[in-house]
Amino acid sequence: MSPINTKAHFLQLIEQNKGIIYKVARSYGKNDEDREDLFQEIIIQLWGAFDRYNEQYKLSTWMYRIALNVAISFYRKERRRIESESPLTESMAEIADESRDSELESNINLLQQFINELKELDKALMILYLESQSYKEIAEILGITETNVATKISRIKDRLKQKFSNIKA
Amino acid sequence: MNELELKSIWSAYDKKLERSLKLNLKIFEDMQTGKAKSKLDALLSIKVGGVAIGVLWMAFLGFLVYVVNFKNLWFSGSVVMIMIFTLVAMINYIQHIILINKIDYTKNITGTQTKLAELQVSTIHTTAFAWLQLPFYTTFFWNNNWIMEGDKGFWFIAVPITVIFIIITIWLYKSITPENLHKTWVRKLMMVGMEYKYALSASELLQEITEFKKDEV
Repeated sequence: MSPINTKAHFLQLIEQNKGIIYKVARSYGKNDEDREDLFQEIIIQLWGAFDRYNEQYKLSTWMYRIALNVAISFYRKERRRIESESPLTESMAEIADESRDSELESNINLLQQFINELKELDKALMILYLESQSYKEIAEILGITETNVATKISRIKDRLKQKFSNIKA
Repeated sequence: MNELELKSIWSAYDKKLERSLKLNLKIFEDMQTGKAKSKLDALLSIKVGGVAIGVLWMAFLGFLVYVVNFKNLWFSGSVVMIMIFTLVAMINYIQHIILINKIDYTKNITGTQTKLAELQVSTIHTTAFAWLQLPFYTTFFWNNNWIMEGDKGFWFIAVPITVIFIIITIWLYKSITPENLHKTWVRKLMMVGMEYKYALSASELLQEITEFKKDEV
């Protein structure tokens, strides 16, 4: 593939899967500036690794590995002095949407907020689960066993459901 | 709330992004012109720069010992000790460079993050170790005549200063740890830069990885 075609192909894949990058950036970045930096850093790393991408493997798996590795490497929070999170509704303002006041919108914000509160690896696990990756794929991306994936997902889901029901109650 | 509801909320999020998110490709244009650098590349540059400064510093110290005052054992001994500390720090930095070059984000997350967090923890230990050379900056001007003649200035000023430096150095060595990096004064001592910014929660992440893998059956 010529360099121009490679670039075009890469851009097309990024465009088709930009939601993956955005959701990781949204979940790990502390503020808008941080999220933008992370978004860019992920694209740089994806491009750097693109010539080694083997198309026989699932693109999303490859993208998630890179995106989550970048996020955890340089954008993780310091647990000892967690900064107060900006209200999620405020930071979501960057996405214009007519359904902003709907219940769905509120649920999306709540879910995103719960994910943001999780530890770095649990957060990665939950994003992958919500993206409907199989347990096998999640295990491969994270480097743990499928049994461990199942146990942890069940535990986090319980916590999540509990939080949702507390708020809705 | 059941599993389906959770996933349907997430899926709605996806659809919403698809409609409203515009990909800013300026970064891609910068990449083409070499303006955009990854954080890992920036970290690598710091390490390479550190080794280069170390080489120059070693050459300067070697020059001092060989040309300026080779015969004074206190002078040459102190400078050689400083050179040894510099050399060890340089070796650590070279190991860091090798490790950074081996980091592959396409590999699994726990494996890659363990390597990176270990690298960051090692950076802190290297800095703490480098502080141990401090007392030798107070001994290079000593000479045997002061000791033989019982010079008061030597015993009551020079020696106590060195002892104080030894105590401070040991305390610094014990204080500059990954666990203490959240303390402002430790960070100031370490001249907190990008290299340390990302090391801040490295030990916590290592702990998290250990716990994350613990449940395996």
